[in-house]
Amino acid sequence: MKRYILIILFLNASISKARSQILPGTLNVTGASSITQTIDDLVKEAGEDDNVVSFESEIDTNVVSYILDPLLDPLTLGLIDSEATCRANIFRFSVYMHTNNAPQNVVIEAKTFFNAGDRYPGLIAYDLLLSPLLGPRNLYPWRGGGYIELPNSGRRAVKVFEFIGCRTNIPVQFRVKASSLAVSGTENFEIVYTVLGSVL
Amino acid sequence: MKRIVIILVIALSSFNAAFGQDVLDVLGVNLLLFGGDRKAISTTVDILPVAILDVEPEDGALLSGGVVEQEAGMPVLTGLPENLWINFTYRASNFQPARIYVSTNQPVPAGMVLKVEIVQVGANGSFPNNPRAGEVILSQTEQVIVYDFANGYTGDGVGSGYKLKYTLENPNSQSLPVGFQVIYRIG
Repeated sequence: MKRYILIILFLNASISKARSQILPGTLNVTGASSITQTIDDLVKEAGEDDNVVSFESEIDTNVVSYILDPLLDPLTLGLIDSEATCRANIFRFSVYMHTNNAPQNVVIEAKTFFNAGDRYPGLIAYDLLLSPLLGPRNLYPWRGGGYIELPNSGRRAVKVFEFIGCRTNIPVQFRVKASSLAVSGTENFEIVYTVLGSVL
Repeated sequence: MKRIVIILVIALSSFNAAFGQDVLDVLGVNLLLFGGDRKAISTTVDILPVAILDVEPEDGALLSGGVVEQEAGMPVLTGLPENLWINFTYRASNFQPARIYVSTNQPVPAGMVLKVEIVQVGANGSFPNNPRAGEVILSQTEQVIVYDFANGYTGDGVGSGYKLKYTLENPNSQSLPVGFQVIYRIG
């Protein structure tokens, strides 16, 4: 029994240690913040719910970047800038999304596409490895790049994409399905991005 | 050995549930410990009002402005139309409730009385039903056949929405004029 407990403790400690090695970084999200339904986006067949049709934002309504923060060099006590930190430390970053206070009877979905955005820095030694530990520094949209419904629970977020290494200029597009039961007019809500790092 | 494997599988499953799957407990994750960051961006969504209706089966033509025309000339000779259903989709502007009105495009000939009544409400869709009870004697003057209702949709096709029943008093066996129409409007 002791052996089993030791195994679990060891496994747990390994996981914690692996996660504690993730360096801090900064997420930046910019872009327009309006998604508008036009008359062409309305249901055409009387009796059907309006959510049988949908309307989309621009392909780059939000632009997402994530880079590691500058580090203090313990030897020189100088700062190692973000570019150098990103060059020397490769992690897997998962991007989870959810909404806060989205209007009722409205479904908000998000997506990006394979390898969207730019590697940061553009070319590093890691890219030249034959078998890089985490694979190439690419972006992988979840569920093949199709739209993913964002939960509006305030607690639960879903993965929309992940990428290896620091990355900038990732476009995110949105699609909205508004039921006939939804209130018309302009509604304000929040789209929340959570980035989580991993060495695995 | 089996037990060790089971324990490992459970441990790894727990790890995957926490970190490896596509769902994240936002409040339960420590970004300082795990690395990462969070940002919220304010967004607006603009949703339009909508008000469309038709009568099924689709004998009528949908016109702009949500007006439906139902040809009622032929039934006088061949029998009144049966099993007609009003379908609608409605999303209010400024929470304004809607009504459905009925009228004719020409006077009903003297000596004839044409009536319509809602006799059944369909179970499809999602809508607050509020039909007028009893018959409406049709004329060129618009009359309410469904009273105030809020957002909803009836479902599409026969069996959805409101079932109509026409009756005609025609002691002189006259015909309705050519081009005679019954008009339904949502607004």
